[in-house]
Formats: sequence, structure tokens, C-alpha cells
Amino acid sequence: MKQLISLEVNGDRHEIAVEPDATLLEVLRDHLGLLGTKQGCDSGGCGCCTVHIGDRAVYSCMKYALSAQHQKITTIEGLGADGKLDAVQDAFVREGAVQCGYCTCGMIMTAKQLLHDDPHPDEDAIRHGIAGNLCRCTGYHKIVEAIRTAARD
Amino acid sequence: MTNMNVVGKRVLRQDAFEKVVGGKGFPVNVRLPGMLHGKLLRSPYPHARIVRMDTARAEQMPGVKAVITPADVPQIPYNPIFFMPVTSAGLVRDMLILSDTVRFAGQPVAAIAAISAAIAEQALQMIEVDYEELPAVFDPDEATRDGAPEIHAGVKNNISDTPSFAIGDIEAGFREADHIFEGTYETPRVHTCYMEPRVCVADTDTNGHITIYSSIQHLFGLRERMAYALGLSVSQVKVVQPPYIGGGFGSKLDMVYAEPLAALLSARTRRPVRIKHTRYEDFITNARHPMKVYLKTGIRKDGTFCARYARTQCDTSAYASQGPVVIMVHAHYGLMLGYRSPHLKWEGKVVLTNNIPGGAFRGYGAPQACFAVESQIDEICEELGFDPIEFRLKNTPRRGDPHPFNPEWKLDTYALDECLARGAERIGWSQRARAGSSSSTKKRGIGMAAHPLWVSGCVGFPDIYEHSGAIIKLNVDGTANLSSATMDIGSGQNTVLCQIAAEELGLADGAVLMSPGSTDTLPFDAPTHASRGTYSSGNAVKVAAAAAKKRLLEVAAVIMEANADDLEVCNGVITVKGSPARSMSVADVVKRAESPYMVIGEQGPAPTVLEEKGTIMGLSSLAPSTNPSPAVAEFVEVEVDTETGQVKVLRAVYAHDLGRVINPAAAEGQVEGGLQQGIGFALMENMLFDPESGACLTSDFLDYKMPTAVEMPRHIESIFIESNEPSGPFGAKSLAEACLIVPAPAIANAIYNATGARIRSLPITPEKILKALGKL
Repeated sequence: MKQLISLEVNGDRHEIAVEPDATLLEVLRDHLGLLGTKQGCDSGGCGCCTVHIGDRAVYSCMKYALSAQHQKITTIEGLGADGKLDAVQDAFVREGAVQCGYCTCGMIMTAKQLLHDDPHPDEDAIRHGIAGNLCRCTGYHKIVEAIRTAARD
Repeated sequence: MTNMNVVGKRVLRQDAFEKVVGGKGFPVNVRLPGMLHGKLLRSPYPHARIVRMDTARAEQMPGVKAVITPADVPQIPYNPIFFMPVTSAGLVRDMLILSDTVRFAGQPVAAIAAISAAIAEQALQMIEVDYEELPAVFDPDEATRDGAPEIHAGVKNNISDTPSFAIGDIEAGFREADHIFEGTYETPRVHTCYMEPRVCVADTDTNGHITIYSSIQHLFGLRERMAYALGLSVSQVKVVQPPYIGGGFGSKLDMVYAEPLAALLSARTRRPVRIKHTRYEDFITNARHPMKVYLKTGIRKDGTFCARYARTQCDTSAYASQGPVVIMVHAHYGLMLGYRSPHLKWEGKVVLTNNIPGGAFRGYGAPQACFAVESQIDEICEELGFDPIEFRLKNTPRRGDPHPFNPEWKLDTYALDECLARGAERIGWSQRARAGSSSSTKKRGIGMAAHPLWVSGCVGFPDIYEHSGAIIKLNVDGTANLSSATMDIGSGQNTVLCQIAAEELGLADGAVLMSPGSTDTLPFDAPTHASRGTYSSGNAVKVAAAAAKKRLLEVAAVIMEANADDLEVCNGVITVKGSPARSMSVADVVKRAESPYMVIGEQGPAPTVLEEKGTIMGLSSLAPSTNPSPAVAEFVEVEVDTETGQVKVLRAVYAHDLGRVINPAAAEGQVEGGLQQGIGFALMENMLFDPESGACLTSDFLDYKMPTAVEMPRHIESIFIESNEPSGPFGAKSLAEACLIVPAPAIANAIYNATGARIRSLPITPEKILKALGKL
């Protein structure tokens, strides 16, 4: 039986009828058309679907949409303002941290939380901070550099 | 060559701007009006015959629009691999879109389209299937024994192919030897783990034409195989080019069951049908072929090879698919060609089992070979006291030598010597300690491996496509659009191709943009594989750009009342050579070319010059004339915890003779990512299966471990040796694969250097290390 829920995503409120077992990832992609959040494994193993609930980065495939009501959800589409890239997005472009790009949005959301909690992380903190996000293209080297650059700027 | 404006620059990737805000162009995001969702029912048995299938209950389920069984599918045997003609004599065509015999656990037996993926998934459970279980075999040694289960009718002892070759007299060679070394080296089944799942949307019109969007590495390969397996002509299949896909690494060089099934479901329902793999489905779709390599090598006192014998057993799994092809690349460009020996012999065996299909994976048979060859060379050097670098140089081709694969090609720009020298210097090779000499429990070691010879595409390979094409069209604002059927699977290849076009055309960085097309509008291009993108597609792009430039200067010559041969173009400005005052922007020339014939000026309408008229463009379609080999060397430092068996890779130095760096940032990205996949192959990755049912047990990223940012070394150094290959665009040859071929043996050799433990099977797990140290 579908239930009507209310989600606040990137500052917009949406009323949506969803199955109780619908994940936040499914609702973002298939109901709200927010395709920047990627599905990679549906089992909390890759981090491609990372979004923010409040200021916490979470795997949206591991979260029921029902349980995300009454909280502020931010997706990659909610970063940046006035048509400009957010500092972390910009650093990913400039440091060459994007290859196939499928992990990129989740990685940026995790990096945002990392920098929120620790504005000047050392390399170890960055590497452990993004260990829950898999990337198969880059070897992470330029991703770590991008996060360092974003922290510096 | 020194005055380049765009080539060699750290140009920002064009697609990165889109990817950091959401990446709307991924095939996983394709949604069409009225789209249905398909799901595949998969066999729980590794080997079985379908006795009865009843789909009535599934068909009656609300929301279900079509159910397809083996009876509804053309029974045309095909081979799924993209890069050879589907009718090639070198391919075994033993797969069906749906068959009443299943040969691996997870093979699809039926497909459903419904109004939602959830309904389709539920409806799968409503299909009743009675299977007659057949005996299955998973171990290739057992599969080849007399009396083993027969997997394909008529394939005796499940041996699909037994290729071999020999030069000289191998027995005589071993008689000449002062020392003989033997060893068996094994590599596991590993998955590419592209991040974007296999996904496709097929839309079939009532006239029988199929339009398909899919996450693939080759547009024309999918078109050819779809048409063949469905009994259509190629013009009835249109494959739309996505601007990018979420990784491939070789896995997306096969047609998967989902693609023709989506087309059939779409034909049945007259609606677009999307099928997206779950991660489990991705894992069981294809994986690197596990290989067992026996090497026997004869050495003379002076440290030269006199006899090299190798035998390879390749588990190609339930279908022949890539097996007979991968084993040939493995033998030539993996095992044998890189090191000289007057006598050599190789024998291969491609074995069918009831395992999941083997597929392409970056390096295509070479990582398995390189692990064997480079480990054994380390063993030889350790035992006989040779310096590993001098030993390699003594036995490898030299610059200017004829190419061992085809003596008509010359190794003009070959620079293994520089790779070894510069890599050794950077890692501090001369300070390397003796193997196992550390007394601490955490032992450090340095190891190296080379891959003396790799490919730049597939020129010279029997029945493998290699030509590329490009279309370049100039715009009135002085920019250009480039179209090519090549797929950027993540490497940044499209940006590199735009750099090549801009350099040739004399435009500024960023003035050439890639514009996707389809198999209907684009010239053929071979797949993104075999390290060919920059070299082969790059050559085609350069030729198309040169044609567009020729036309540009012809038009400019008319307008500027000059001779076209006297004009040059740089950074978007055309000037008369030697008279910089006589200049005109590219934009103004293109505007004139595109203007109406009669132009209204101050004096009223006046005709322009007819010779100026017409879109300025260039096109090309060609294959390279040769196949220049790069050489590479990897040096790593590791730390082995001898209490836990854990290995940390502390530092990696990789040297690659790539001809010319077109984009340093993209090139480094290839090396860093290749190292990551190589560390996974060396230390962690291994797909596991239930020994009874053949079911895949490593079906998500919680079970299948690959390196995260934590396991990667803090220091990765890329050394690019620019040797300026004359046949390549602006001197470039290839890069993408060799950086994954060499890490595993370099790490294995470093572990030996640290601990004195030699491990000949991958992955080198803590258990194997502790066992080798006598602690388990």
C-alpha cells in the first residue's frame, strides 16, 4: 500500500506517494527525476548514491524514503549557487579528479561532509573519509588532491 | 613539434563540468515516454535443460505487458564480442539469446516487461520452470578429464581450442641451457567493477527498426550483433551514442542478453523497454579469464634466454566467447614476444566449464602472462645473481629492431631502456636490500616488473576491426564540432581527441567540442579497447582536421586574395606567412563561407564569391598503417607485516614510453587507475563461487573487495618517455592498459624482496603470505 510522504529536497517540498519499502535513492531518481544521485550497487557498498540528510552524508540506497521525512535532504543538484559550481565541484574539475564520473557526485557529497566536519583534514583523514566511496578509474590520487585543494581555497 | 598550443597541455576535461553537477548523459539516465521496465529470470542451476515453462500466471499479473521465453526468441547462435566480424572464422558461435539449455548459474531463461521494475521482478516469481538438472563441472582440470560432463554437444573433453606456435627447436634450446627454471603461475577470476551498471533502453518501431541506448564500449559492435542474433539487417538497428558511460574496462565489449531481449520485449509491446542489471547481474555477466601458466625457461651462463616454453590453460567458462581470442593475445603480447629467445614454444588450451562467461578486461590476457613471466625472471635473477634490470635489457628488443610480431614494422621509438633507467633511479633501486634481509616484523621491499611490448590498437591481428573515422565541422563563431563513433569510457579520450583536432586546425584550447551521434550518422569506429583511442581514433581525427583546415585555407585564400599555400592558422587566426599584418580570424572566414550568396551591404544587395560558399568541414575513415609498441616498467615499494600477512603498497613509480603526452592530467589518471586495478588483482580481488551450485558468492561490493583510497599508496609517480612516434597523432602511441599489466608481478617481486616468500598465485592474501612464512 502506497503512502503519501513529504520530502524536503534541495529546499523544495514534494508530496509523493511511495511504497513503504521504497528507498530514498529510488524516490530521488524515479519520482523526483534527480538523476545526479547514482545507483551503483543497492547494498551500501559503493557510495555512488551518497546524499546529505541534514549535514550527514548517507547512502540513499540504505535509507527508506519514509524515514527521511521532516529532514533537509541535499543532493548534488543542491550544491552551488547562482549557476556557479560549489568549491568542491570546482576543485574536482580543476584537479582532473573526474574520469568516468559515475562515482563523482557521491564522492563530492562525502567530501562536502568531510570538510564540514574537519575544514583542514590531513591526507589520512581525507583517505579514510572517502573510504566508503568506491572509484574504479582514478586510483583516488586526484580525488584526494581535489579535496585538499577545496580545503585550501 | 615543440610549438604546440593545445597538445601536451593540462587541458580540463570537457565532460567534467557536466559530471560534477549530476552527469545527465549516462545511459542509466535515459528515460523515454511510455517506457516499460524489463527483468530477466535466471537459472538457479549451473547446467540444466528446461523441461517445462509456464508463464500464464506471470502474464496475468496486473502491469505485466509481455513475457518472452526461449520459444519466442530467434535461435540463431552468435558470439557476443564486439570487435570482430560476427561471422569471423575465428569465433565460436555457441550462445543463444534464450536457450532451453543453461550452462551457468544465472543464465537468463525468460524475460518480462512491466509498467514498473518492481512488478516485473514480482512477476518473475510467477513463471514456473521445471529443470532437468545436468551434471556440472567448474574446475578446468576436471572438465578436461575423460568422463567429465559434456557442456556443448560435440566438444570433446570440453576443450574449445588448442592453439600453439613454435620457433626453432625447443628441445635443442633446452639442451643448450646452463640453467633451467620451471614454475606454474595462477591468476583468479576478477571483475572490472565498472561503476555504472549495464543498462539499455530499446525502442522498436512498427516497421521493425530498433533504436537502442546502452552502456557499451562500441556502437557498431552492438549494432552488428543485435542484427545478427535477431535475424535483422544492420540498417534496422540504430545504436545511439551516449556522451559518456560509467566505466567499462573491457567488460562492455560484449552484447549482453539484456540488449536483444529489451528489443524483443519492445517489439512485442510497441513501447520502449529498459533493462538495468543489478550489481549481482553485472558480476555474473563476464569476468577476466582465470589462467594457469606453466613456464619452463632455459638460460645460458651469460644471462641470455636459449629456450622458452609455456603452456596456458584458460577457463573460458560456459561459452567460448572471448576465450580463443584472449589466449592468443595472452600468448603473443603477454608471454612470448617481449623477450628474445632462439627457441620458443607455446601450447594453449581453452576449456569450457559451467562457470560464468569470461570477458575482456583491460590488458586482455596480458596481466595473467606478465605475472608469470616477470615473477620467473625475478626468480632467475635472485638465484643466479643477475641484476634484474640488466637481465631484462639483455633479453629484450632494442630500438630500431624489427617488431617481433611483424618484422615489417620497426621499433623506431622503442624506449624500454629509458623506462628501466629512469624508474630505477626514481625508486632508489641501487639501495635495494637483499631479499628477506630485514629483521623487523614489518618488512619493506622493492620490486619491479616490465612489460617490454604492448599494442597501440589491433593492426596486424587477424579479423579484428581497426579503422576509425571522424567528422569535423567549423562554426561561424570560430569553434568546431567533432563527431566520432569512439566511446569515451572514462579515460578523457574525447578531450584528447578534441585537443588533437584543435592543434591540427590551429584553434585554441576549448574551441573543439565533441558532439555525439549514432550508428546512422557516424563513420565506423572500432571499439574503445586495445589501448587504441589516442593512437587510432586520434589519427582519424587528425586527418579529418587536416581536411577541414585545407578547405578553411582555400576559402581564406579566396577572401584574402592570397595563395592557400602561403597561409597559416594559429589560435584561431589565419595569417599570410611572413606578413602578420595580413590576417583574418577563422570565425570571419567561416562566416563568409556560411553567408547567403547575396549579401545586403551599404550599396544594397551584392553577390559574394561562389568559391567561398559551403560549410567548412573535413572527414576521414582509415586504419593506421602500423602498430607501434610501447614499453613499460613498474617499480614498487611494499611493507609486509609478517605477523598479520598484510601488505601495504607504499610507493609506485611507473615509466611508460608513450610517444607523446597529449594531456598530462589524463595520462596520469590512466596510470593511477591502472595501478589501483593492478593492486586489487595482486592482493585482494577474487570472485568466489559455491562449489556445489556454482552460484556466485561475491555478488556485491561488501563481498568483492577492491582498493579504496586507504589501500592506495600515497606516492604514485608517472614517468612519461616522449619518443615521438612518427605514425601517431603528434607523435603519440598508446597508454591505457600496460599500467594494469605490470603492477601484480612488481608487487609479488617486492613481497619476495621484503620477506623471501615467493607466491605464485594471485591474489597474494595474508593467508598465503603467512603460509609461505611458515606461520600458518
